[in-house]
Amino acid sequence: MAKRVKVRKWIQIIFFTVAAFIAVNHSLAEVGKPIPLIGEASLHAICPFGGVVSIYNLLTTGSLVKMIHESSVVLMIIVFLSALIFGPLFCGWICPFGTFQEWISRIGRKLFKKRYNTFIPYKFDKYLRFLRYGVLIWVLIMTAWSGKIIFADYDPYYALFQFWTGEVAVTAFIALFAVLGLSLFIERPFCKYVCPYGAVLGLFNFIRIIPLRRNVSTCISCSACDKNCPMNIPVSKKKKIIDHQCISCFECTSEDGACPVSSTMEFNTKKLEEK
Amino acid sequence: MRIKAKTAGISFFILMLGGILISMAADYWATEGSKDPLKYTDGEFAGENNPADIRGSYSMDDVHNAFDIPVETLTAAFGLSHEENPGSIQIKLFEEIFGIVDGKEIGTDSMRYFVALYKGLPYVAEEGTALLKPAISILRKEGSMTDEELSLAAENAVSLETAEINETATEDHDDTVLMEIKGKTMFSELYDWGLSKEDVEKILSMPAGARTMSVRDFCIANGIEFSTVKEPLQELLDNL
Ligand code: SF4
Ligand code: SF4
Repeated sequence: MAKRVKVRKWIQIIFFTVAAFIAVNHSLAEVGKPIPLIGEASLHAICPFGGVVSIYNLLTTGSLVKMIHESSVVLMIIVFLSALIFGPLFCGWICPFGTFQEWISRIGRKLFKKRYNTFIPYKFDKYLRFLRYGVLIWVLIMTAWSGKIIFADYDPYYALFQFWTGEVAVTAFIALFAVLGLSLFIERPFCKYVCPYGAVLGLFNFIRIIPLRRNVSTCISCSACDKNCPMNIPVSKKKKIIDHQCISCFECTSEDGACPVSSTMEFNTKKLEEK
Repeated sequence: MRIKAKTAGISFFILMLGGILISMAADYWATEGSKDPLKYTDGEFAGENNPADIRGSYSMDDVHNAFDIPVETLTAAFGLSHEENPGSIQIKLFEEIFGIVDGKEIGTDSMRYFVALYKGLPYVAEEGTALLKPAISILRKEGSMTDEELSLAAENAVSLETAEINETATEDHDDTVLMEIKGKTMFSELYDWGLSKEDVEKILSMPAGARTMSVRDFCIANGIEFSTVKEPLQELLDNL
């Protein structure tokens, strides 16, 4: 099994637990028995994507979309800032649904070994990856049009953390099971093809202050980075890796990830050959 | 500058905590909707909290804080005194607990109605809204409404026993299909149901609000009594 970035794993566990706690506590608060100290925030309150879908409403009516609160706007700004510096760290480190898919992928890896996450040829796959921008446009238009968080009805993340409440639409459950099933073959299928928030954050890869770089003079072309990239990015073919699907997971890097040669694959503001 | 995974992780934590703290200091951080109702804008009661803006997400404690009515009084009025932790009961649960009783509705609007009568504030309840009998006895003793208002409320009151028998009356209640105008109905829903913007504006006698605004919020903001708009709109919908 390839080396995994340990600190990332821990941060993922922490945020997954926090989200689960908040979801459960909100349900307890509704029946008058909240866990003390956590407050009664709902899952919507800690979703930075709520801020994104609210932008239009905020500008036109001065109010947020129903059920979204100011905390979402604050978190959206924080996540955008972090993405501007480090790229979509949120996807690779924080998003509980990304984490959930990674955990399921462990089963897939056991089942298919090296064939895991390689079933769709990249030459087709790279085009399929643009699907999530279609989803993003649809979500933004529909939310602006209706003033409601319409994506919740199709959101597998919402289904996962609210399945006990009776508030989840059947469509969201279907989406959750589809993601569960697909995660046995593909790593992070929701992130790659559907997630509208991942789509927004992915764009920051084009302007991020600290990009991923490969030192072509020390690289031994072993392709360890390619094989370890959950998003199937052909990392070893490029010098500066600018790809809208990178989730800044550090799994390909020399220091923390799969690259066996030191200082060869790094997130660095400067060109590696110049060091 | 080279960034290691640890640095990135720690930076994110700092950015997040810092951002949240700054927004808290600026009084912007809120994980729940505001529980301060809008105030009357003019007339005798200008500046006082308007019960018309009580929402389903308010708990008994929130109503107590906004209108200074003891939680015990509120829960007694709705027959909920025996509940554990009564202050945290949310008003939206009324629809589930009581729902439609004898063709009348005990829901969020019942709380608005009760508060208005109790405090002697002007409010016209939605058609079909009723109070429970215990609420009437409380109002008789402690309320600030006129005798006329009290007798009207008493006439429409429903008994607690009937209410409990009808516990599941609102199950599977789908308000999109029913095309029923409620407090949360937005302009966009009116249009989706088939009303034209002109129809709506004729009734409002002014340009309609943004699609995503609720008709009730629009009325409150423009000093229009919601019920005077609701009825003709409902009539239009019924005749579609
Ligand atoms: S792409 Fe979406 S689901 Fe995947 S990690 Fe990012 S935000 Fe989460
Ligand atoms: S390129 Fe590297 S950092 Fe980006 S997603 Fe792939 S493995 Fe993670």
